[in-house]
Amino acid sequence: MAAPSLNGAGEVLTRRRFFEGLAAFGGVSLAMAGMDALGFGFASAQTAPPKLEGDPKGTKVVVLGAGLAGMTAAYELTKAGYQVQIIEARSFAGGRCQTARKGFQHTDLNGNAQTCEFDEGLYINHGPWRIPYHHRSTLHYTKLFGVPLESFVNDNDAAYVYFEKGGGPLAGRPIRKGQIAADARGYAAEMIAKAASKGQLDAPLTAEDRDLFVAYMIAEGRLSPTDLAYTGTEGRGFDVHPGAGVEPGPGKPSTPYSLSDVLHSNAWRVLSSVSGYEQQRTMLQPIGGMDQIAKGFEKRVGSMIRYSCVVEKIKQGAKGVTVTYTDKFGERDTITADYCVCTIPLSVLKNVDADFSKPFKAAMSGVAYAPVNKIGLQMKTRFWEENHHIYGGHIYNDMPGIGTITLPSTGWQGQKGVLLGYYAFGGEAAKISAKSPADRAAFAVAAGQKVFPEYAENFENAFSFSWHLAQFNLGGWAEWGEEGRKASYPVLCEPDGRVYLAGEHLTYLGGWQAGAIESAWQQIGKLHARVLQA
Amino acid sequence: MNRSLAFLCGLLAASAAASTALAATPQALFNDNCSACHQTTGKGVKGAFPALAGDPFVQGDPAPMMATVLAGRAGMPAFKDDLNDADLSAILTYVRTSWGNKGKPVTAADLAAARAKLKTAKKPASLQAH
Repeated sequence: MAAPSLNGAGEVLTRRRFFEGLAAFGGVSLAMAGMDALGFGFASAQTAPPKLEGDPKGTKVVVLGAGLAGMTAAYELTKAGYQVQIIEARSFAGGRCQTARKGFQHTDLNGNAQTCEFDEGLYINHGPWRIPYHHRSTLHYTKLFGVPLESFVNDNDAAYVYFEKGGGPLAGRPIRKGQIAADARGYAAEMIAKAASKGQLDAPLTAEDRDLFVAYMIAEGRLSPTDLAYTGTEGRGFDVHPGAGVEPGPGKPSTPYSLSDVLHSNAWRVLSSVSGYEQQRTMLQPIGGMDQIAKGFEKRVGSMIRYSCVVEKIKQGAKGVTVTYTDKFGERDTITADYCVCTIPLSVLKNVDADFSKPFKAAMSGVAYAPVNKIGLQMKTRFWEENHHIYGGHIYNDMPGIGTITLPSTGWQGQKGVLLGYYAFGGEAAKISAKSPADRAAFAVAAGQKVFPEYAENFENAFSFSWHLAQFNLGGWAEWGEEGRKASYPVLCEPDGRVYLAGEHLTYLGGWQAGAIESAWQQIGKLHARVLQA
Repeated sequence: MNRSLAFLCGLLAASAAASTALAATPQALFNDNCSACHQTTGKGVKGAFPALAGDPFVQGDPAPMMATVLAGRAGMPAFKDDLNDADLSAILTYVRTSWGNKGKPVTAADLAAARAKLKTAKKPASLQAH
């Protein structure tokens, strides 16, 4: 929409100015919608593993890392007739696909030792925790392995938004997202609808289009069709809920916040037309914890895994690859294969003694790994459900070091629950991770207390995880800058001699399990083509 | 993809901008923001996070050091949105002159200049949730 050219009256000017701001936002969301529409075609470009046809004649492949990338490679290569061995540093398979439940142990690089003390049946996915519906590669294996899924509530109108750095009477108060959405979009639609109906929009609309546009605004903002006013709507909730008889009978409608209060609160920042590409409203999670996916793979490739074996050296010759590793007894051993699929995160791999080519080594330093923190807090009651009627979803907030607080999408109406007390990354995460586990928990509980008055009194115990302080990860996921993507990424996507790298770090699905799987698919496809030619 | 959850990144940046209300000592600032990885001793964690104590990089020309702390490098996060120039200069000076290090101090003005230089270079989008 072009800038308006008429009207000097203050009232109109104000309205115009607001509308221009909205148009600017509309531009952003329209652009995003367009991207997403395109994305539906490109997303999860690979929806099934490559068909590895032809006889590899017993070619040996050593896979480094029993995360999803490594186990995907092992599973598919074995099916195609390869002989596969997997070297895994940890005593269990899954890589970052982990779930902490009672007895789960972790000691970070700073020596903080934790044993998870959640009650039986409770857990936190401190690694990956949600699967967008269009990650068809991940969903390929959950279906194939019979891993039962349930809904992950990634968007909840009843959940609170808590912005303490906003202004006005709504700042620093938990406000339901649906109320902010109803009011912000209602007022916006009212202004646009009124302007349009009076012909004050300088958009090129025919009379018929204008009527349709106004009709859309009425629906979008839930306006009165007669005077185009937004005066609240039942979807934002009731002061007295409707019910039986004459009392409460029809109930008492809620009163909208004022436009000014909504604007100054900052809470509207959580609103957008559609969800982000990776943050779909429909997401899924395995019932019982994300590690059910890891276990699905492990059931099929577990016999090939050498656990608690830490890779020290990767050497290549004309005919094969030799990997030296230290086993759990501290004994050094080697394994030799024709090819290697290496899924070790680049943050860790760059410290391994490998005879990669110079450009390949240089490319490995072109990527950063994200400091990432999560904490699970066990609560003795599900007060967010019982008292606040919030079933899953995120408490978006602007508290430093917290990121989001997320309520569990499982165990509805049970006695207890484990919620995600923070999910933060970058410098804020590095900062909080310096605290002891007890202090991290205290920090998280103090933040949650600002949103829920029952938080602290319900808190029982915590399990925190910092991926940058996890020995075999040194970061949550790879972060490619513009330069790195251009110069380093393409180099690492190609094999160095007989070594093929694979993992979320070699995709544009970084940090997602789909990235790990699809990278493995792509690399074993290349490897297989080479083996057949040889 | 970089735009997905842009608002969360916005939140992080906004929340990060407002920090350190009371004047903290340089040591406290370092311990608070840096010691998770580099340790309070400045010795780092072998094979994971580099030692700052005795490291020529943190005692030499301050320009690359300032650029690294502002924009991040390898596994290190960018701190440009988390800390202001005064706090950053206090931290860098602490690192350059502690544990036997013999670097020259840096000032808030140095940081401001480094930050201005950084702005002209395109930077990647900030971190996203998964």
